[in-house]
Amino acid sequence: MARSRGSAVTFRTKLLFISSFMVAGAVALVTGAVSISTRRAFDAIDRERRQALLAQFRDELAARSTEVARRVELAALSRGVQQIAAGAAEYDHAQTEAASAGLDFLDVVEPDLTIISSAHWPARFGYKNDWQIAPDDWHSSDVFLARIPTPEGSVMALTAVRPVAGGKALVAGGRRLSPELLKSLGVAPGMRALLWLPPGEAIGAEGSIADPQKLASLIQAVRTPNGEATGAVQWTSDRSSSEAFLALPITRAGTLTGVLLAGTSLSTQLGLERSILRTGLVVGASGIVIGVLLGWWTTERITRPVERLAAGARAVAGGDLSARVEVLSRDEIGELARAFNVMTEQLLEQRDRAIQAERVAAWRELARRLAHELKNPLFPLQITIENLQRSRESAEFDEVFRESTTTLLAELGNLKTIIGRFSDFAKMPAPQFETVDINEIVRGVMKLNFQLERPNVKPVLELASDGTRIQADPDQLRRALGNLVLNALDAMPEGGTLLVRTALHDWGVRLEISDSGQGLTEEECQRLFTPYYTTKQHGTGLGLAIVQSVVSDHHGKISVSSASGRGTTFTIDLPASQPDPLAPPGETA
Amino acid sequence: MGRTALRWIAAGNAILALAVALEAAHRPRYGGELRVEMRAAIAGLDPGAVSEDPVALGAQRQWMPLVFETLVRLDDHGRPQPWLATSWTHETARKIWIFQVRKNVKLHDGSTWSPASGSITIPDDRPIEHILRELAGARSAIVVKAEDGSLLGTGPFRIARWDAGKSATLVAHDQYWGGRPFLDSISIQMGRSLADQASDFQIGKADAVEIAARDLRAPKQRGTTIATTPPMDTVALQFDGGRVPAQLRQALALSIDRASIHNVLLQKQGEISGALLPKWLTGYSFLFPAERNLVRAKQLVPAPLSLTFGYDRQDAAIRPIAERVAVNASEAGITLRQGTGAADVQLVRLPVTAGDPWLALQDLTALLKAASVPPAASSYENEKALMESSGVIPLFHLPRGWMLSSKVKNWPRFEDVWLDPGAAP
Repeated sequence: MARSRGSAVTFRTKLLFISSFMVAGAVALVTGAVSISTRRAFDAIDRERRQALLAQFRDELAARSTEVARRVELAALSRGVQQIAAGAAEYDHAQTEAASAGLDFLDVVEPDLTIISSAHWPARFGYKNDWQIAPDDWHSSDVFLARIPTPEGSVMALTAVRPVAGGKALVAGGRRLSPELLKSLGVAPGMRALLWLPPGEAIGAEGSIADPQKLASLIQAVRTPNGEATGAVQWTSDRSSSEAFLALPITRAGTLTGVLLAGTSLSTQLGLERSILRTGLVVGASGIVIGVLLGWWTTERITRPVERLAAGARAVAGGDLSARVEVLSRDEIGELARAFNVMTEQLLEQRDRAIQAERVAAWRELARRLAHELKNPLFPLQITIENLQRSRESAEFDEVFRESTTTLLAELGNLKTIIGRFSDFAKMPAPQFETVDINEIVRGVMKLNFQLERPNVKPVLELASDGTRIQADPDQLRRALGNLVLNALDAMPEGGTLLVRTALHDWGVRLEISDSGQGLTEEECQRLFTPYYTTKQHGTGLGLAIVQSVVSDHHGKISVSSASGRGTTFTIDLPASQPDPLAPPGETA
Repeated sequence: MGRTALRWIAAGNAILALAVALEAAHRPRYGGELRVEMRAAIAGLDPGAVSEDPVALGAQRQWMPLVFETLVRLDDHGRPQPWLATSWTHETARKIWIFQVRKNVKLHDGSTWSPASGSITIPDDRPIEHILRELAGARSAIVVKAEDGSLLGTGPFRIARWDAGKSATLVAHDQYWGGRPFLDSISIQMGRSLADQASDFQIGKADAVEIAARDLRAPKQRGTTIATTPPMDTVALQFDGGRVPAQLRQALALSIDRASIHNVLLQKQGEISGALLPKWLTGYSFLFPAERNLVRAKQLVPAPLSLTFGYDRQDAAIRPIAERVAVNASEAGITLRQGTGAADVQLVRLPVTAGDPWLALQDLTALLKAASVPPAASSYENEKALMESSGVIPLFHLPRGWMLSSKVKNWPRFEDVWLDPGAAP
């Protein structure tokens, strides 16, 4: 069955698309909702965990500070430090005292801060202490963060200062803020604590952080009066390296001396989100596949009857009113099929009735025409015969007789002509195809019609130069063309231009006959080829019907285009060759 | 009265017995093994070999005379004295010197060392002082190669076992021309750190161990016998001349606060110096400047710079000095950092290997791989030239210190050292 669906999307395809999109959309919505709720849940839990870690961190720092203060206090009271202060010990004796006091750093300095003995850098004896301790802090009992220079570079330490021997010297001691402090926090998996120290160092439980500058925005944020800040840091180009931080400043006298940072790795969260997304994609893809399969199965069940209906409809459209659709179900589609079958049956009945009515109408029309055509000559015949009867006794009988017989003969000729035309139309012979040059036929017809001088009409020929030879019946073609030329001439009683044009196409030759007359209305155009329809006062309405018949017998097409006041153009498309009459139907030569 | 007299007699006997015992205690006794430990890892005592390791070279030159002797030997004042040669004379033109050798000198295998005609002829037209100085040097020691390839000497000890760089045993040469030494043997443990040596000394595993100059005071206060030499080691900065320009070398030298180091780190042991050889050896070391001038040092450093710095971290005397030098240098804008590979500047300990400036400079020249010292030039000029050519800036001269157990007597003349078994441990 030939179907001309072209590139139009079928109902089945639409159904498949809709079902697939619905499945995918539903999965996407669910996935998105789960992802968002998961993220929110993670954020809430992480925030609590980070705050707890920071609290633990602060407590640990406070405990360490207390411990440092106690150790420095003990060191200040030790005999060894007293000896150092008195100048009675080796230059590096502070190392021994620092070790026994459990301090990483110990400087015994004179009141002017000249180092007497340094535990971590013994070679600096005689130099000024440069731990960057504020002048007030040298006489403070607090514990504070100080940056302590060492041969390997400066490090931050929890530091305390105490006087020795009644102030004859000072001892500054400290413990390094080492990763051990952060390790001792015992953070949960996926979390970590960092300590940022100015100017830009950060340490974690595993040691120094490689890219402390990535914390810069957080550090900047904690410098605000609000103090606390949150933010995320992506350490590498991999998103799973992202870490969410809660930052808390450590200040002394208004100066930022450090920042505590509690971080939670976002890798688990991102991993879960990715997993959800992956699952969503898998489910979505599976859903689409299943949706396609189900949709295929469903649409097969739905569209097969619809396709049968469509095929039936196409058959009906093609004129086969006997087409019926099998009713396979009792649902809406089945009801539709039943309705279709009822409709075709009714159509068939209506067509039969219409044909019947048409035949009756045609006969009536024929009768009306015949009556009309025959009535016109009959009336002069009657008048002439009556005149002839009245003048039988008169002296002018001979003259009347002669005129009357002339008139009678003329009218009988008319009758004969009318009957001949009807006879010709009824007896339209089958065309006898031979190879003819359409241009030659055009020239012949024009020459015949312009033998008489037509001063008001200008004939114009625009003929294709070559290749205008086609298979056609030259007599029928000449007759059809002659009818069109006569029509065109009749359409220009006031004169004008008659244009005849031939043009070559792949499929054959196009012939156009145009006049510059008044043109036709749309309704006239539509009814123009109806037999016995005419716009002329004395036309039979068979001329164009004959033309159409000839064109049709040549397997061509005829069309008319016209616009009011701009003339009318008849276009005839004729194939170059005619089908072989012996060939099976459907094949062309 | 009688009882009183008896008491006096008894007391007198006791005093006499004590005196006899004391006399016996101070009289040298034969026998025993002296156990010595040292940091140096000496490959061997071959006088012709010059070790590239300054510490090993210094130790080798110290111990070599026990095995190998020279024709003449320098006394404590640096004057040549007859040793294996008893006298020397020259032929008329003073171009050939004839050294009469000591008779009955036995080599370590028991054979007699007897040059042909009982003398050694040396054709040399230099002044006799130069010739004698050279003959007193370690490289001029008398060495006889035995059939088995071993080296035989004439010294008071012979090598019984030598495990290069690790340990050695020297035993007394019974037929030594100067008389058998008191000790039966000397056991030497090499490559021992000062801490290990101190530990072994404390538990009685060693009779004589080295001690850093800065650590001399504490054992002294505890009553331990300490023996020190005159300054025999030169602590110096040695530059890689190709990489460090003279201006920076000078800046670094001027930045160093030698006085603080001497007073605090060295506990005033040794002496501050800008010379390679110590004052006791030359008398002119003061001609080499050793004062700090930080302002000038800063002027000589156009911009802060960094140099790689090397030193022997196992040397307890050197390490604190190096750390202090780094601190001083940083004040002048020079960062000294420890690096891998060849350092731009090293803090080294250079040994004074002889009691004669020329001989000592000869060894230093070999050690520093500098151009040979022309013997005719003055020691001052030789020393100055050597410092400039080798890129060395001396800082201090340090004595060598030994902790001795109480039974060690007559240290450090090994041929005269004896062990007192009755001494308190």
